[in-house]
Amino acid sequence: MTPLKTVGHATHRIDALQRVTGGAKYTSDVHLPGMLYARVLRSPHPHARIRKIDLSKAMALPGVKAILTHENCDTTWSSGDQLGQRRLFNNPVRFAGDPVAAIAAVDRHVAEDATHLIEVDYEVLPFLTDLEEALKPGAVAIHEGGNLSLNNQRQPAPQTYKRGNVADGLKAADRVFEDNFTSAHHNNAQLEMRVSVAEWSGDKLTVHAATQGIANCRTDIARDLKISEDNVRVISEYMGGGFGNKNQCQDSDLMAAMLAKQAGAPVKLEFTRKEDFVAVHGRWSSRQSYKVGVKNDGTLTAIQMTALTGAGAYRKGSCDLSGTEIYQVPNLETSVSPVYTNTAVAANYRAPAYPQSVFGIESLMDDVAYALKMDPMEFRLKNMTRKFRDQTPYTSIGLEDCIRKGAEKFEWKKRWNPVPGSGAGPVKRGAGMAMGMFGSGLGRSSAVVRLDGQGQYYVHVGVTDVGTAAKTTMGLIAAEELGIPLEKVKVVWGDTDTCPYSVGESGSRTTVQTGMAVIEAVRDLKKQIAEKGAPKGNEILTAMATTNPPQLQGQSRNSFAAHFAEVEVNVETGHAIVTRFVSAHDSGRVVNPLTAQSQVQGGASQGIGMALHEELLYDKRSGLPLNAGYYGARIMTHLDAPLVDVVWVETDEPYGPFGAKTLGEPTIIPTVAAVANAIYNAIGRRVKSLPITRDKILGVLA
Amino acid sequence: MKKISRRRFVEGTSVGIVAVAAIPEIKAQEKPASTLPRVPRTAIRINVNGVDHRVDVEDRWTLVELLRDHLELTGTKIGCDRGECGACTVLVDGTPLYSCSQLAVWMNGRSIQTVEGLAKNGKLDPLQEAFIEHDAPQCGYCTSGQLMIAKALLMKNARPTRDEVRTAMTGNLCRCSNYNHYVEAVMAASGSTPSTGGGNAA
Repeated sequence: MTPLKTVGHATHRIDALQRVTGGAKYTSDVHLPGMLYARVLRSPHPHARIRKIDLSKAMALPGVKAILTHENCDTTWSSGDQLGQRRLFNNPVRFAGDPVAAIAAVDRHVAEDATHLIEVDYEVLPFLTDLEEALKPGAVAIHEGGNLSLNNQRQPAPQTYKRGNVADGLKAADRVFEDNFTSAHHNNAQLEMRVSVAEWSGDKLTVHAATQGIANCRTDIARDLKISEDNVRVISEYMGGGFGNKNQCQDSDLMAAMLAKQAGAPVKLEFTRKEDFVAVHGRWSSRQSYKVGVKNDGTLTAIQMTALTGAGAYRKGSCDLSGTEIYQVPNLETSVSPVYTNTAVAANYRAPAYPQSVFGIESLMDDVAYALKMDPMEFRLKNMTRKFRDQTPYTSIGLEDCIRKGAEKFEWKKRWNPVPGSGAGPVKRGAGMAMGMFGSGLGRSSAVVRLDGQGQYYVHVGVTDVGTAAKTTMGLIAAEELGIPLEKVKVVWGDTDTCPYSVGESGSRTTVQTGMAVIEAVRDLKKQIAEKGAPKGNEILTAMATTNPPQLQGQSRNSFAAHFAEVEVNVETGHAIVTRFVSAHDSGRVVNPLTAQSQVQGGASQGIGMALHEELLYDKRSGLPLNAGYYGARIMTHLDAPLVDVVWVETDEPYGPFGAKTLGEPTIIPTVAAVANAIYNAIGRRVKSLPITRDKILGVLA
Repeated sequence: MKKISRRRFVEGTSVGIVAVAAIPEIKAQEKPASTLPRVPRTAIRINVNGVDHRVDVEDRWTLVELLRDHLELTGTKIGCDRGECGACTVLVDGTPLYSCSQLAVWMNGRSIQTVEGLAKNGKLDPLQEAFIEHDAPQCGYCTSGQLMIAKALLMKNARPTRDEVRTAMTGNLCRCSNYNHYVEAVMAASGSTPSTGGGNAA
């Protein structure tokens, strides 16, 4: 791979100074003259019909300016449910936390006081918290049509994939393995809570939103409020994390806009931390059942997976599971059924369909390898994917190098126990690994590049930068293509009035898709400069590009990773800690090794939390969340996080900006399984349910 | 909370916030124009980043509310508002505290340092320099709190070990989970060892 001048060199974020001085303006820092504050009243019941809402006492509270309920607002929140089943205020309410009213008042204390003065008469309905219970005959239907949600083709059937014939594959196997795995609902838990500030000026609505995609957010707001997109401006200059739960527009954006309209004043709507845990969304839980057929030499003949996934009360995400694609196998069948329960909604969290699913398949494949007396690493090298779905060649694949180089850095041969659980104890050490992959498709995005008479370059991109350093990445790509230092490029971002469409910062698409748009715009600018000469004085040259990416016919573009974990497990207390971790990644060319390292280390750390302790628990008797918050849900802390060594496998990738592939989401995909497999290697027993908490470790040891 | 600018205060509004070298008498409480219920207020003196303020605070305001909504110091963030995440960490007479869990009225006579007070005379604190150098902030929302807790640590312990840094900072969550780079940056700012990052020892 040819070294480049700017891309590929560790570079500080262009907005780092703002981030370390308190100067970065996040949505919650926006204050508008005359601004009201809003709070949401939420259902205390997991499932109930609202008979009557009495607002009289709340409206009589001095300082209360506007109240929305299902009675005066029937707006559909379209990105809150893919099937269009969700309004801003629903009746019946379908989970503890479903919004019942939103109140705008002169300050947040008055707004909060008013929530306590609203009297709601509920008819409490039977509720469900368990996936299997929800599918039993006679179970209360959470939505019309029952509790089995539609598949992604909107048919009342599971989401399926099939190649070959699993029955034949299992017949051809020397040994067949079967097992079940479960994973919990766990929260994105980004530090910045949901917040929206809305202001009307005549017909024109400005929303300061905490969003991962200003363009998508604007489209969604316009659609749901039934106004022209030209009349909506979305601003998000700094954003305090989302990991998938700030995609598109949020109900808070719509509520703030409608309250502002009703009150005739700007409104800031803030969610609390508890609301963020129960009323936004987390990763869908799962129950996975597998059958795997294998020859005695370790060759896979068949994989079958059937699974239920927990959609929660609405269908906000795909609720799919995608782990099996990392294996080469001629016969594969998967069937995933999203199920409604009266619990928190599930949707995107960093690689939404992967880490829980990879946990299942990689745990089972580990067991297969041990049963065949194979080194799990050798087993994976033998059976890893070589073509997408065994038929489509990858544009580039560095998975084998990820495994080999990661293993070398990790010292796999030295750290892995050939006999699991053979340590002396009580603190036993073990090593595990797992692999993962993620799509890195090309897609449409836009950019504008300007050069003024003073020699200043401007790059306009519709990114908000969710923490990935997207602004800096776009600057680096422009500088490289222009052949100038980064300092000469000013990046303009975060405002739909000044930035063209950019694909949302979800699906790890920004570097590849908006990056290509920047390159194409720069090429056009360079052409203009060559034709017309550089602008002088008040002159200005502007170039814009909306990419029309090539169809990768007969090829698949993916990123790959292999993770390695070492754990220490105290078999007397069940306490497990990760003592060493290596993440090896093929994301093509790494645009900025400094910020990319942050991504990889952070993704691994999140995955370790998911593996060992994070989950949102419900009380089955009351249907209420038990531990909504940072302490209760046991979110990763400084003391939980091991040092993560990062190994780059920079494949020579023909497509994308300078050969860059997707990075942000793959960083969490193999982590959970690697930790689970390390625990097995340490104690010789398999915990088949996430998170692998102390009680479960002690349980399998008992 | 209705925010009142200093200028509007001086022009005679009812909410008293002022930042001046010589502390003026607190203005008599005027009757608010609306019929808002009267909320108990207390006059406090508070020094924030070296500037004295006399503020007529509502008794229910938290310190972070006072800083963000009334003193226009929005660098301090609210991540949970319930003492769990550390995003709102400030120094109160040099001691790191969660400003969401302190009432503003308790701050009478105290000196507060926030992220806005770290840089001196236009020169960044070594911690801020190291945070930039080591890419400590990802989304940046927890960063002010991480800086303040690290500042408190280095004031007490100029040469901490990695584990001392991790222990001191463990009440400050980073969901981007950039814990390695945060520890690396604090170690670099303290100049104590080559930067090898955080993490459980292998």
